[in-house]
Amino acid sequence: MALAFGALFVALVLCALAAPLWADLAGRGPEATNVTGKIEVDGRQVDVVSLDGTPIGPQWRSEYFLGADANGRDVMVRLLYGARNSLLIGIAAALLTTILATLVGLLAGYLGRWVDAVARSALDVIWAFPVILLGVALATALAVGGLQIGPFTLEAGSTAISIAVIAVVYVPYMARPIRGEVLALREKEFVEAARAQGAGPLRTMLSELLPNLSSTIVVFAPLMVANAILLEAALSFLGVGVVPPAPSWGNMIDAGVERLVTAPHLAIVPGAMLVATVLALNVLGDGVRDAFDPRSRASWGARRP
Amino acid sequence: MTSSRSFLSAVVLALAAFAAAGCGDSDDGGAEAGNSGGSMTIAQTSQPDALDPALAYTSQSWEPLWVVYTPPLTYRHAEGQEGTELIPGVAEALPEISDDGKTYSFKIREGLKYSNGKPVKASDFEHTIKRVLNLESGGTYLFEGIEGATDFIEGGDPKADITGIEADDATGEVTITLTEPDGTFSNVLATNFAGMVPASTPFENQSTKPPPGVGPYEITESVPNRQFTLSQVEGFDIPDVPKGKVDTITTRIVKSTSRQAQDVIGGKLDYMQDPPPTDLLAEIKASHSDRYKEWPTPSTYYFFLNQSIPPFDNEQAREAVNVAIDSTAIARIFGGRLKPSCNVIPSGIPGHEDPDPCPFGDPSAAGDVDEAKRLVEEAGVGGEKVTVYANNDSNRPQIGEYYTDLLNQIGFDADLKIIDGAIYFNTIGNEKTKAQTGLAAWYPDFAHPGSFLQQFDGTAIQPTNNSNYGYVNDPEINKGIADLLKEPDVATVADQWAELDRKAIEKSYLAPYGSEELTTFMSDRVDFDNCSLVHPLYGNDYTSFCLK
Amino acid sequence: MTRFVVRRLAQMLVVLFAVSVLTFLIFNVIPNGDPAVRMAGKTPTESQVEAIRADWGFDDSLPVQYVTTMEKVLGGSAISYFSQLNVRDQIVEGLPRTLSLAVGAAVLWMLAGVALGLLAALRAGRLSDRLLTVLALVGVSLPVFWLGALASYYLGFKAGWFPNGGYVPLTEDPLDWAHHLVLPWTVLAILFIGFYSRVLRSNVLDTMSEDYVRTARAKGLSERQVLLRHVLRNSLIPIVTLWGLDFGAVVAGGAILTETVFDLQGVGQYAAEAVGQLDVPPVLAVTMFGAFFIVVLSTVVDIVYAILDPRIRLT
Repeated sequence: MALAFGALFVALVLCALAAPLWADLAGRGPEATNVTGKIEVDGRQVDVVSLDGTPIGPQWRSEYFLGADANGRDVMVRLLYGARNSLLIGIAAALLTTILATLVGLLAGYLGRWVDAVARSALDVIWAFPVILLGVALATALAVGGLQIGPFTLEAGSTAISIAVIAVVYVPYMARPIRGEVLALREKEFVEAARAQGAGPLRTMLSELLPNLSSTIVVFAPLMVANAILLEAALSFLGVGVVPPAPSWGNMIDAGVERLVTAPHLAIVPGAMLVATVLALNVLGDGVRDAFDPRSRASWGARRP
Repeated sequence: MTSSRSFLSAVVLALAAFAAAGCGDSDDGGAEAGNSGGSMTIAQTSQPDALDPALAYTSQSWEPLWVVYTPPLTYRHAEGQEGTELIPGVAEALPEISDDGKTYSFKIREGLKYSNGKPVKASDFEHTIKRVLNLESGGTYLFEGIEGATDFIEGGDPKADITGIEADDATGEVTITLTEPDGTFSNVLATNFAGMVPASTPFENQSTKPPPGVGPYEITESVPNRQFTLSQVEGFDIPDVPKGKVDTITTRIVKSTSRQAQDVIGGKLDYMQDPPPTDLLAEIKASHSDRYKEWPTPSTYYFFLNQSIPPFDNEQAREAVNVAIDSTAIARIFGGRLKPSCNVIPSGIPGHEDPDPCPFGDPSAAGDVDEAKRLVEEAGVGGEKVTVYANNDSNRPQIGEYYTDLLNQIGFDADLKIIDGAIYFNTIGNEKTKAQTGLAAWYPDFAHPGSFLQQFDGTAIQPTNNSNYGYVNDPEINKGIADLLKEPDVATVADQWAELDRKAIEKSYLAPYGSEELTTFMSDRVDFDNCSLVHPLYGNDYTSFCLK
Repeated sequence: MTRFVVRRLAQMLVVLFAVSVLTFLIFNVIPNGDPAVRMAGKTPTESQVEAIRADWGFDDSLPVQYVTTMEKVLGGSAISYFSQLNVRDQIVEGLPRTLSLAVGAAVLWMLAGVALGLLAALRAGRLSDRLLTVLALVGVSLPVFWLGALASYYLGFKAGWFPNGGYVPLTEDPLDWAHHLVLPWTVLAILFIGFYSRVLRSNVLDTMSEDYVRTARAKGLSERQVLLRHVLRNSLIPIVTLWGLDFGAVVAGGAILTETVFDLQGVGQYAAEAVGQLDVPPVLAVTMFGAFFIVVLSTVVDIVYAILDPRIRLT
C-alpha cells in the first residue's frame, strides 16, 4: 500500500511539474483574469463570470476543464500551479526542518553541557508557542517588512518567508527525538572506539553518528512534508501564506469557501487535492516506518494545525 | 478614513430618485405605517469602532447611535433629498447665526429628559464637545473652529473652559463663537459627535457602558465583540424625530457575512448591515427580492497612483492604467453593486458632472489593453516593478488580484500586497511605505465636493496618516481647492468644482472606477415595504423598523 | 524529587519569559509599526499623535516599553490598540467558548480513539483492522478548515441539521450549546481520533507480548480480565500524557482554525484577528496565555511521569 501511495505522490509531483504544459493547452496562465470574457458552450456564447459575479462551472475540456474562479481564471491551471507552490513550500520547509533539527540534535546531544542547555531552551521556547499562532505571527510580521539575516534577505511576500516560518515552527518536533537518539548513541561502543582512535567531535558526528540517524530521518521525512504542506495551507487560508494572485491550495480554498453556494468546485477541488497529497505522504510515512524503524516515535498528526 | 463607510452630508441630492427606482416600490418606510412592538435581532460584521458618541466615526456606529444620541440639530428621518434637511433636535429651533457668521446660538428644549430620566441642561452641550476634544476623537477637527478649542486641546485639562461656548442652565441658552465664519457649522451641530450626553459622563471611552442620551432608543446592554441592545425609551418626544416601533433591537456581531445572509434568509436574523456576499446575491435577488433592495451611495472607488515615485510619476504610465481599466469587470466582482464612472465627484454631490466623453473611454465598456500596452512602452516604464496594495475586507483582495493582473497585462511587473483592513489606510498613508498604487475608496464626511477633491490637495500631504495616497501636488488644483472652499454657497461654484474634477482625471492623477451600491436585506418577519427607510446620510433608519 | 520539581518550575518561568520577549520583538521591530499614528483616527493633529505616544509610552526605549507592556498584560490592565477594550476581559469572554470546544472535542477524541484503537488491536491483521487503519490515515490527512467550512455549509445551512456556526452559552441553553458545538467538536476531534487510535493499537499490541501479560494468561485469568486489568491499563498511560499535551495545545491556540471556520469567537479567533491588525497587547496576552497552558501541562506531564516511572533520569 505504501508503495502505491508513494507512486501517487510522485505522480502528483509530476503533474505539478507539468503545469505549464496544461496552461499551454488551456490557453491561459494561472494568474490571467478573464472577468468579462465569454466562451462557447454548446454553440452559445456564455459569460465566464456572470453579471452578478458567478463563475462558470467545469467544462471538461482543455479550456476551463474545472471551470473558472471569481476572477475568470482557469481553475485547473491554478490547481496545477498551486500544487507547485504547495509542494515546493512543503518539501523545502521539511528539508530545512530536517537540516536544522539534525544539526541541533547532533550538537546538543553530542557536545552536551552548555550547548545542550542552550539548544534545549531554544527548543522549549519554540515548543511553548502555539504552533499556528507562532506561524501566523511570524508570517504576518515578516509579510509587512521582510527580513534580513546577514547575507540572506527574505523579501516581503516571497515564498521563502513561508518556507522559513514553517521550517522553524517544526524544528523542536524533530530535534528532540534526534537529540535523544544521539544521547543513546554517544554511549555506544563504536563511538567510544572512534573517539579513542583520535577522531575529533566533527568527524565523530559526521561519520559515526549521522549514518546511524539516517533511519530516523528517513522515517520523519514524509511526515514532515505532510505537516508542512498542511501548515502552509492553513497559513494561506488565514491569509498569511502564499500571496495571491499566485495560487496555492490554501489560498484557493480560502477564496473557494466564499463561493460554496454558486461555485462549490472552487473549494472542493483544491481541498481534495490537499487531502490526497497529505494522505499519500502519511501512508508512505507509515510504510517507511514499519520498514525501517517500527518503534520510532515519529508519528503523523501530533500537534498540528 | 476611507475604510469607514461614514458619510454625513448636508445636501445629498438625487439619492432618493435612485433608491426608489432601484427597488421598485415607492415611498416605502413612511414613519406612520407599520406595527409597534416586538424585538428584532440584527447583525453587524465587526464590533463598531465605538458606542460612544464622542468617538464613533464610522457608519457601523453612526447607524445605531443616530437613534440614541440626538444632537442639537439633526436630519429629517426621510429618504432622499428630504432626509438631508436639518431640523431642530435637542435645540428648540435652528440656531440663530450672527451677521458675521461667527456666532451660533440656540436654546435647549424645555422639559427634555435623558433616557435615565435626568433633565437635559445647556451646560451638557459644552461637556459633550469637551469630551470630543479631550478624548482625541477623530471628530476633533470639526470643532477646532470654536474659539478656545485649540487651547483646550493643548491644555489637556478636561475641567478647563472652552471660551467659545457659553451655556446658561437657567434659560437653556447656548452660544457658540467661532474664530472664522464656517458655512458648514450647522451641519457640525448635527453630527453624532454633538449627540448630547450628561455632564456627569466621564472623560473616557464609554463603549462598554454607553451613557444615557436623548433619543427614541437607549443602549441597555453592550458586550464588546458580542452584542449590544437598543431599547425603546418611554416618553421620548421631539417633534419630527420618530419614536421607533420595535421594543428592542439586538445587534449581534457575526464575523461572516455569509452566515449573516444565511440567517436572514432563514429568519434567525432580521437585518444585516453589510451587503450580502456575492455568493448569495443571486439567490437573494431571485428568491427574496421582496425583502432586498440596493441603493446608491455618494462614494468614489479608485486606484491611487503615487506621483512621487516611479513609475506613476510618469503621466503616460498613469494614463495607461486609466485606459486599461474595465469598470464593468470590477462591477461583476461587486456582484453588480457598482455603478461605473470615471470621475472624482460622485453622482449626488454638487459639482458632479458626467464627463462627456470620459477622457479615457466609456466606463461602461471594456478597457483598451493594447493601447495601454503601447502607452507603457512609449513611456519607457515597461517591466518596472509595481506593488499593488489592497485591504482584506469583503471583495477587496479579489479587486486587487484583478488589478495586479491588469498591470501585468499592460507591461508592468506587478505583485500584490494584502493588508488587514484595520491598518490598511494607515499603511498606505505612511510616506515610508512608498505605496505605488492600490485600492482606495472615499465616502465624504460632508456631501461637499471639497470633501472629495481635498484628497488631491498637494498642500495637505502629511508624512503619516496621509489621505492623498497618490501624492498629487498640482499647483493649479491646490489653488483651485483653496479658492473654491472660501465660497459659502456651493451651488454657485459647482461648475468650477466640476472643472477641477475634470482636470484631475485628464491628468490621470487617479484611476476612478465607480460608486458602490449598498443594500437592505431583511427577514420574512419584517414588514419590508413599510419599515425599511433608507436615510441618505445614516443608511437604514432603525426607527422605521417594524415587524409584520 | 523536590529538586527536580523546582528545577522544572524554574525552567518553565524562563521559557515563558523568553516567549514574551520574542513575541514582543516580533511585533516591534517591523516597519510601519507606529501604533500611535494608527490609533489617532481619521484626521489627527500632530499634537494628538504626540499625546497618544506619550500616554502609551511608545517613545520609551524598547526594554522600557517591554516592561510597561508586560506590567499591563500581567496586571490585567492591557487594552487593545484599536478597540481600546480590556484584553483580559476579552480573553475571559472568549475562554468559555474555547474551553467548551476543547473539552468536548478532547473527550470525544479520547473515547473514540481508544475504542477504535482497541478494536483494531483485537482484530489485528484482519480486514476490519486494515479498514480502521485507512480511516485513521484519512482522518489525520483532513485539513480542519476545509472540512469545517464544508460541514458548516452542507450540514449546517444546506441540510439544516446543525447551526451554521456561532455559539450559545452553556448557561443559557445547554441543548442549544451542544447543538452548536457538535460540528466543531467532530471536525476538531477527527484528526486526533485517527492519531490516538493508531497509537493505542500499537501500544496494545506491544503490551500483549509482554511477559506479565503472558503470566496473567497462564494464571488462568479470562481474556476479558487480562485485557482490561493489564493490557489496557498499561497501554493507556502514554495516551493520557499525550492527551494532556494535546489538550493544552488546543486550548492554547490549536483551535484557531476551528474557531474561525465556525465563528465561535473564542480566544484563538481573537488572537488571529489581533495578529492581522498588528495589535500587540492582545497578541502578547494570548500568546502568554497559550504558552502558559502548554508549558504547565508539559511540566505536569513530566513530573507525573517521573513519579510513575522511577527509571526516568531526573535531569
